[in-house]
Amino acid sequence: MGDFLQFTLTGITIGSIYAIVALGFVTIYSVTKVINLAQGEFVMLGGLTMFSLVSAGVPYWLSFIATIFFVTMIGWLMEFILVRRAKGADAISLIILTIGTSIFIRGVSSMVWGKDQHRVDSFTDNTPITFGGASVTPQAIWVVLIMLLVVALMYMFIDKTMIGKAFQASSVNPIAARLMGISPTRMSSFSFVLSAALGAIAGLAIAPIIFPAYDMGAMLGIKGFSAAILGGLGSAPGAVIGGLLIGLFESMGAGYVSSGMKDAITFSIFLVILLIRPNGILGEKTIGKGGL
Amino acid sequence: MKLRGVQQTKWWGVVIFSLAILAFPLVVTQSFFITQATFAGIYAIIAIGLGLLMGYAGQISLGQAAFYGIGAYTTSVLTTTLGWSPWLSLPVALLVSGLLAFVMGYTMSRLSGYYLAMATLAFGIIVHTLLVEWKGITMGASGLYGIPQLSLFGMTINQGVPYYFLVWFFVLIVLILSLNIVHSRAGRALRSIHDSEIASSSMGVNTGQYKMQVFVLSAMFAGLAGWLFAHMSYSISPSAFTFDASILFLAMVVLGGSGSVWGALIGTLLIRLVGITVHALGEQFPFITSDFEHVIYGLILILVVIFLPRGLFPTITSWFDTASIKRTKKKEALAVVPVKRSIS
Repeated sequence: MGDFLQFTLTGITIGSIYAIVALGFVTIYSVTKVINLAQGEFVMLGGLTMFSLVSAGVPYWLSFIATIFFVTMIGWLMEFILVRRAKGADAISLIILTIGTSIFIRGVSSMVWGKDQHRVDSFTDNTPITFGGASVTPQAIWVVLIMLLVVALMYMFIDKTMIGKAFQASSVNPIAARLMGISPTRMSSFSFVLSAALGAIAGLAIAPIIFPAYDMGAMLGIKGFSAAILGGLGSAPGAVIGGLLIGLFESMGAGYVSSGMKDAITFSIFLVILLIRPNGILGEKTIGKGGL
Repeated sequence: MKLRGVQQTKWWGVVIFSLAILAFPLVVTQSFFITQATFAGIYAIIAIGLGLLMGYAGQISLGQAAFYGIGAYTTSVLTTTLGWSPWLSLPVALLVSGLLAFVMGYTMSRLSGYYLAMATLAFGIIVHTLLVEWKGITMGASGLYGIPQLSLFGMTINQGVPYYFLVWFFVLIVLILSLNIVHSRAGRALRSIHDSEIASSSMGVNTGQYKMQVFVLSAMFAGLAGWLFAHMSYSISPSAFTFDASILFLAMVVLGGSGSVWGALIGTLLIRLVGITVHALGEQFPFITSDFEHVIYGLILILVVIFLPRGLFPTITSWFDTASIKRTKKKEALAVVPVKRSIS
């Protein structure tokens, strides 16, 4: 029982990160219909920027703000320089564009930060708390709290503010939204900014746990993408559920079978769920050709 | 008789291509370039198959390296552990990759678009993990070694020019096969699926069956490439069959232009050429490190998508087409006496 509790807690921690990454995918996809495979690189940039600032002696609260700001600028630049100019390209070409961007960002990062893993101290004192035979680090609690905060803020923002409503409108019906005076370019730009911010938050939250390195983005991106697909592409609650599920499969697979096999187990369960529900757990509203 | 909209295989293209294959080892004699060209041929086989899948059946596969790996591992296990002849293991390698694609296509027939893309990606990761972890058969991360060389009529096909010719012979077969498929009834059916699945199925095209056939065919091409790769190298390890490799194949097709068999081939050559050039530059200038190679590589992918969204090959052919249309228009203008028409 202690084992099960332990694996569940680990799964929820890592699942929270996948959930935030998946929210980033959904944010961009719902407005621009682009699958941004560079999403994992935002997380990597968040973690490594956090490392640089903290090791330079900047206080934590200032590092948070500066990291989010920096990564957000990268996201904005990516939309402004690249995605906006490739409007004529089809969906597969756009995927290649984001893959090219992610290879580019990864290359630059390995030149800036080197190939080593970097250590970031946890936000608060990190003595594990034990209960019921399982132990949990305060940093893991921070990660889950940050995820909950992000979800709550996203909900408030999308549902309660004017710009959030505009955002929703252009994802539901871009043409009608445009007729109502909502600029699609501004919304597209805004979706990249928002999802870069989400990536940065995920990166700085996880930095003390997984020791960020230049190549951590690829797998995080894939897991986040699969979480978004699992929940039903375009659905924000689906992304959160998908992220937590992927995290749980992974920690259970690593705990009960073997850590080498965890990805095979995770993706096998993922495939089985997808076979039962071909449009994700919560389903996508606009099915069409599955987004392509 | 030439029907409008019916494309025919341009055989002069195939002839020029064959001559280029024959001429290459005569012009370029360094063994490094011969090896690179052999690799390019192996990748071209995968890219042509993937191009058929993407450009004609309108499906995206992010796990093509899995079939490549399965082909390579099937033949390696059969020839090293069981001592089979490589020629005997070729049909088995093709069969195993094709069969797996069939099972996968059958179970995933309800998926489409990004859901299918993610499913193929998941499949690729599962296969890669199994190659690393199933140590009893695959020997884990260190891989299998001692894979025998191919021999034909008692002569060993050495690495170098002989193997180069073998690989490109297979590329030629795959190319001609694909061109014929594309220009047949099946090809037209596939193109209609790519444009609109609903329209083509209401015209009586069995879309599911065609899509499945192309998927199996592309997997078998990848299996063939895996077979060629295994017998070219003395040893194989799972590191050659990762997600990155799948992305590389995807990039080759997109750069060359999906929706064209030649495009996939040209995309492959281009990607290899970029890799070699950047690597050579890296040896020339010390500030170009292996990280910098990635930066340049990423940059090239970005630039091609932005400036040539349809891919290289279709863009170039459309230049030629517009040029020839202008020429014929000029001729027509000279030949036909202008007649005054009433404005309708």
